Amino acid sequence: MSDAYLVGAGQSDYGAFPEESYRSLFRTAFESALESVPKGLEKSAIDEAFVGTLGVGGRQLGLSGPAVTEHVGLEGVPCTRVENACAASGFSVRSAVQAVKSGMADVVLASGFEVMSDMSSDATKYWLGVSGETEWERLSGTTFSGVYAQMASVHMERYGTTREQLSRVAVKNHSNGAKNPHAQLGFECSLEDAMEAPVVADPLNLYHCCPTSDGAACALIVSEDVVSEYTDEPIRVAGVGAGSDSVGLFEREEYTRVPASERAADAAYQTAGVGPDDLDFAEVHDCFAIAELLAYEDLGFCERGEAGSLVEAGTTELGGELPVNTSGGLKSKGHPIGATGAGQVVEAYKQLTGTAGERQVEGATRGLTHNVGGSGGAAVVHIFEKEGESGVQA
Amino acid sequence: MTGISAIGTYTPRFRITAEEFSDAWGQFQASGVNQKAVAAADEDALTMAYEAATRTLEVGDVDPESIDWLGFGTSRPPVAEEDLTARLGAMIALESETSRHVFTSSTRAGTRALWAGMDAVQAGAERALIVAADAPRGEPDDAIDHAAGAGAAAFVLECDGPARIVDRAEYARAFPGTRFRESGSETIDELGVTQYDRRAFTETIGGAIDGLKETWSPSAAAIQAPDGKLPYRSSGPVGVETDDIRAATTVHDLGDLGAASVPISVAKALENGYETILAVSHGSGAGADAFVIENPSGVPTTLDLGGETPLSYAAYLRQRGVVTSGPPSGGGAYVSVPAWQRSIPQRYRREAGRCPECGSLEFPPEGACRSCNFLGEYDPVQLPREGTIEAVTTISQGGAPPEFAEQQAQSGDYAAAIVAFEVSGERVCLPAMGTDADPSTLEVGDRVETTIRRIYTQEGVTRYGFKIRPLETA
Repeated sequence: MSDAYLVGAGQSDYGAFPEESYRSLFRTAFESALESVPKGLEKSAIDEAFVGTLGVGGRQLGLSGPAVTEHVGLEGVPCTRVENACAASGFSVRSAVQAVKSGMADVVLASGFEVMSDMSSDATKYWLGVSGETEWERLSGTTFSGVYAQMASVHMERYGTTREQLSRVAVKNHSNGAKNPHAQLGFECSLEDAMEAPVVADPLNLYHCCPTSDGAACALIVSEDVVSEYTDEPIRVAGVGAGSDSVGLFEREEYTRVPASERAADAAYQTAGVGPDDLDFAEVHDCFAIAELLAYEDLGFCERGEAGSLVEAGTTELGGELPVNTSGGLKSKGHPIGATGAGQVVEAYKQLTGTAGERQVEGATRGLTHNVGGSGGAAVVHIFEKEGESGVQA
Repeated sequence: MTGISAIGTYTPRFRITAEEFSDAWGQFQASGVNQKAVAAADEDALTMAYEAATRTLEVGDVDPESIDWLGFGTSRPPVAEEDLTARLGAMIALESETSRHVFTSSTRAGTRALWAGMDAVQAGAERALIVAADAPRGEPDDAIDHAAGAGAAAFVLECDGPARIVDRAEYARAFPGTRFRESGSETIDELGVTQYDRRAFTETIGGAIDGLKETWSPSAAAIQAPDGKLPYRSSGPVGVETDDIRAATTVHDLGDLGAASVPISVAKALENGYETILAVSHGSGAGADAFVIENPSGVPTTLDLGGETPLSYAAYLRQRGVVTSGPPSGGGAYVSVPAWQRSIPQRYRREAGRCPECGSLEFPPEGACRSCNFLGEYDPVQLPREGTIEAVTTISQGGAPPEFAEQQAQSGDYAAAIVAFEVSGERVCLPAMGTDADPSTLEVGDRVETTIRRIYTQEGVTRYGFKIRPLETA
């Protein structure tokens, strides 16, 4: 079975772009990914494409994959739209890796896009909730802010996690996002700002919630056979894991863990033969501040209940022992639902190629991406390793 | 002979005082009303009927399956056409074969249901359930709205019920234009021809009393009360003492209860142990029903006429939807009416499933068992009304799905919780919206009970389902 390699990745800016369409955003990401390939990559080399999108707004609900790949000139290439809510393009990366590992393809595009800002805020909210459990959970009056707030209420009750610790997630991610030119909310925020914002769903306030975003992201995954055509410093997809779970939070045994994330992480660590201590950085799914704290525990960065202390100690900030969400995360960089998972891979690529600028983690050779759908109905984890002279030693 | 064997009432928790109206309008037009009950944004005649019926069946220890006749009276059904007794019967778990009847178009509807229930029992029905619920509405600047209250009462009738109905009579004569609601109108009108209106009231009430077979000396009189003066003013000529009316009156504290006015007053008189009770309703058009109830030994009663939550006039307008703009137009996350209908046993009666393989509880009762992975049919289990909060949040403006934006505009922030219910040692969790309480008072570990409320209205069809509220400690 062939190994799979990441040879390029790029994204559009995240934000609100009335002058852009989903296709033009996708084109920007696609061209940026092609340009990022060290030895160049012609689009005609692409054998297969996976496109993640939820379909917010319903503008092209069916065949939304070919609608963008044909637009950028991937003529006739097999194309599949992948839908797993906010984890759509994390799973498109997984599909690309599978296509390469199976031997059916040598060069695969893994991508995602979403446009969320071209509707009224009410119409957007109708679409936001669609990945929650619709018949019971949503009808108890929740969208995801409410569901994650319920998780936070139990984490606070059980482990003594504080509102200040939740706010520190926002402060950290904004500090990182301020160094990322693609970030939607690329400004720093003070702890005071993040403590005193208007409440959305108690205990979560506005600074504990990610924005709605437009954007697209693309990654290029190639086989072992062809990787040397594209780079001399290959980045191997070392760990691959995914899991699923009940869509509704109320259907789960516990509310302070995301079993789909745990399963995905276990599998990814196992296939990579590494553990959380071996990581140089991680991009985790921080749709809400509590989600980042749960990710620390689900991914094994700390013991159960200690995530609040971990962020407070500065371990996960840039310059800390394990920087998390150097891109700014969903909170500051933005969260165009279908693009988010592929966008995390863009950050991993930048860190591992030493092109992350002001937010570069020095000497980064191994990083993890973690993408969650809904409140944990689906999760996918990848571990990327830089090989070659400056990479990990075999 | 027909007798009442159980009786119960319900009033919403909100109260607004006459002073609040005076402050807002410079005057208060409802004579003799000191304060009144106000239905919450998620309540209507149907949900109040459910509340009163449930309490009555509980206090009377009546198995809903033993009810073979249901009568529901309201002047203000939440939809103009659709037989609401089908939904009401599903909410209180009546058998599908139970005979059902709706009485409406008049404040006399509650006593018309009582009248027909007596006929049914006399014709052989074993046990009849009569439910009267109402929440009249006028325009904000008129006397009808100033008086308009909200409440419900339910009676169980049996041939040997302890509170015997020993006499009855009815009377009608055409008096058009005294109180009416045009087709399609949300609010009641009256022409306000004072002497004419008063005559319609007194003549029909007097006519019904005159029609009784005997002359009675009641110790309490439950008289229709569109405001706090009319019952007293009008009843002198027909031989009822002011003190007797005062003994049963509710209008001073609850307002005009419409079709539930006389039923709730009867409940109050029975609760207070009056032995001979005269009950006389009036409905515009005009007509009246008179009953005499003898209550020598008392009857199981649950009376809930207190309301602890005061409303400002601005909050009153919000709760009633007078100053809100209606729900935004739709998009994703649609639950179809057929899908809703299939889940009625869960939404109304908390029907979970027990796994036939391992005995664990599942909600909703479908799909693979989360304990043993069995995939098949579950045994239905009704969850108790009481449960414990396991996770909770308060949803603020901006955190609500847009389907709930209108309700949130009307009644403010709300709680959304995950609640655990237990049946013989097995636990199962349901998500539920909070109601009837300040959301910030609901915390992890709190005991709560379910009720049924309006969830939302889409495509003109109101979806009802369970919500939770703090367990009553009374």
